[in-house]
Amino acid sequence: MLRVTNLKKRFGGLTALQGVDLHVPRRAILGIIGMNGSGKTTLLNCINGLYVPDEGRIELDGQPIGGLPTHEIARRGVGRTFQVPRVFAHLSLLDNLDVAQQQTPRSAEERQSQSEYWLHKVELYRLRHNHAEELSGGQQKLLELARIMVARPKVILLDEPFAGVNPSLAQLLISIIREVPTEHDCSVVLVSHDLTSIYQLSHHIIVMNEGAILCEGDADVVRNDERVVEAYLGA
Amino acid sequence: MSGLLIQGLINGLILGAIYGLIGVGLNVVFGVLRVVNFAHGEFLVLGAYFAYFLMEQAGVNPVAALPLAFLVFFAAGYALYYVLIPRLSRSDDPELSSLLLMFGVSIMLGALMLLVFDADARTLPFSIEPVFLKFGPVLIPSVRLLALAIALATIGALAWFLYRTQVGKALRAIIMNRDAVRIVGINAERLSAVAFGLGIGLAGVTGVLVALVFPSFSPFMGNDYTLIGFIVIVLGGLGHPVGALVGALLFGVTEQVSVVFFNPSIATILGFALMVGMIFARPTGLFGQRVLR
Repeated sequence: MLRVTNLKKRFGGLTALQGVDLHVPRRAILGIIGMNGSGKTTLLNCINGLYVPDEGRIELDGQPIGGLPTHEIARRGVGRTFQVPRVFAHLSLLDNLDVAQQQTPRSAEERQSQSEYWLHKVELYRLRHNHAEELSGGQQKLLELARIMVARPKVILLDEPFAGVNPSLAQLLISIIREVPTEHDCSVVLVSHDLTSIYQLSHHIIVMNEGAILCEGDADVVRNDERVVEAYLGA
Repeated sequence: MSGLLIQGLINGLILGAIYGLIGVGLNVVFGVLRVVNFAHGEFLVLGAYFAYFLMEQAGVNPVAALPLAFLVFFAAGYALYYVLIPRLSRSDDPELSSLLLMFGVSIMLGALMLLVFDADARTLPFSIEPVFLKFGPVLIPSVRLLALAIALATIGALAWFLYRTQVGKALRAIIMNRDAVRIVGINAERLSAVAFGLGIGLAGVTGVLVALVFPSFSPFMGNDYTLIGFIVIVLGGLGHPVGALVGALLFGVTEQVSVVFFNPSIATILGFALMVGMIFARPTGLFGQRVLR
């Protein structure tokens, strides 16, 4: 599905990514953890085209997507959310989701139906006519998730989806993310500082440190890796 | 006195609606692109010449020239976007660069019009019967009422486009967050070109209306109309077509009613005092929105 090979990104003298490799199979959840500044968000920005990588290859279903414009990568099936949600603040929730379906060949009725389905799913349907700016931060994260899912992506990149979200909304997010691969045939790349959620959800976990992969494996492998305990947990 | 006051109010509403159209065109370009289009007034004057020559050379009625003006100016604006605007993103300060760039374009267009059309003021030889409509003590030129109806219909159509169509919603969305538009698969460059084309297209339409309503037009009048557009944006608020209309009506009525009571210079001062007061009291304008980028 999504394959990243030897990805490098520099900002002046700072090397943000120094040869990252990863593979996200179809219908899998890849968790990425790491300290602040370890390169997690830069990695997502390179995958979805907000940054142009200096070196390396990014492929989706075997097709290179590295260096393409962001909108082209999105059209090919890569969705993205941000740590600070970037909803369309003065549009209604329904319009937020309608705009996200502009590139689909759906009729107005189909778009409406998809929007309503996802607003039900994220439990915001009753607020569908409200402006997005009226939502809490956690609700905006749910709306942002719904906004990328209405386009039926192949892979979604979620950047800190649980940060600043109250526990009940976080549980809702977790349950939706968990069913995304199976119910919507979509892979997930999940960046989070919330280790519990990462361990619960991820099929495979990558630990990043200073722009490189420190270790990877399933939750048990990562939990017991001495380098991770030392570098990430500080113990 | 009450007749004069009503006359001033109605003139204010008519001019306000046309000013609103100027503001809406500028608003779309500034909101979406953050480009200060100093040449908006020159495009507007070009629209007036467009109607003039269509009528003089081909006998086309100015009302029939309106959709044609929109299409021609939209196409020109769409193409011009790719010539002018993408290069600005390479600048350290794209907004300031856009201001200087469009100021240069404004001067070039003004000089070009002077070269091609000469400095003489032109008048559109168009009238409709009856020339005046009388409402009690108030006498209104029919053509001005027609222009009012067209201006309001154009703003209504634009509001429908922005609020009811997918492209319109995307245009509003890009004002709020450019990156978020790109990550949902929308080509922000093409959408920006549509916004620029729309702004110039509206300038062309407004130019035809200006030629209908005002006694004359000349290559030197572009800056005045651009200035009015910016006043309207300050009053109404960025990114809100209804705001532009309300701001423009406020400005038009203030200006025209003041003329009834005071010296025209004082009327101008009052119009601009309204703008300065709005900046102090409510910098985002009446309907302004905080922009997230």
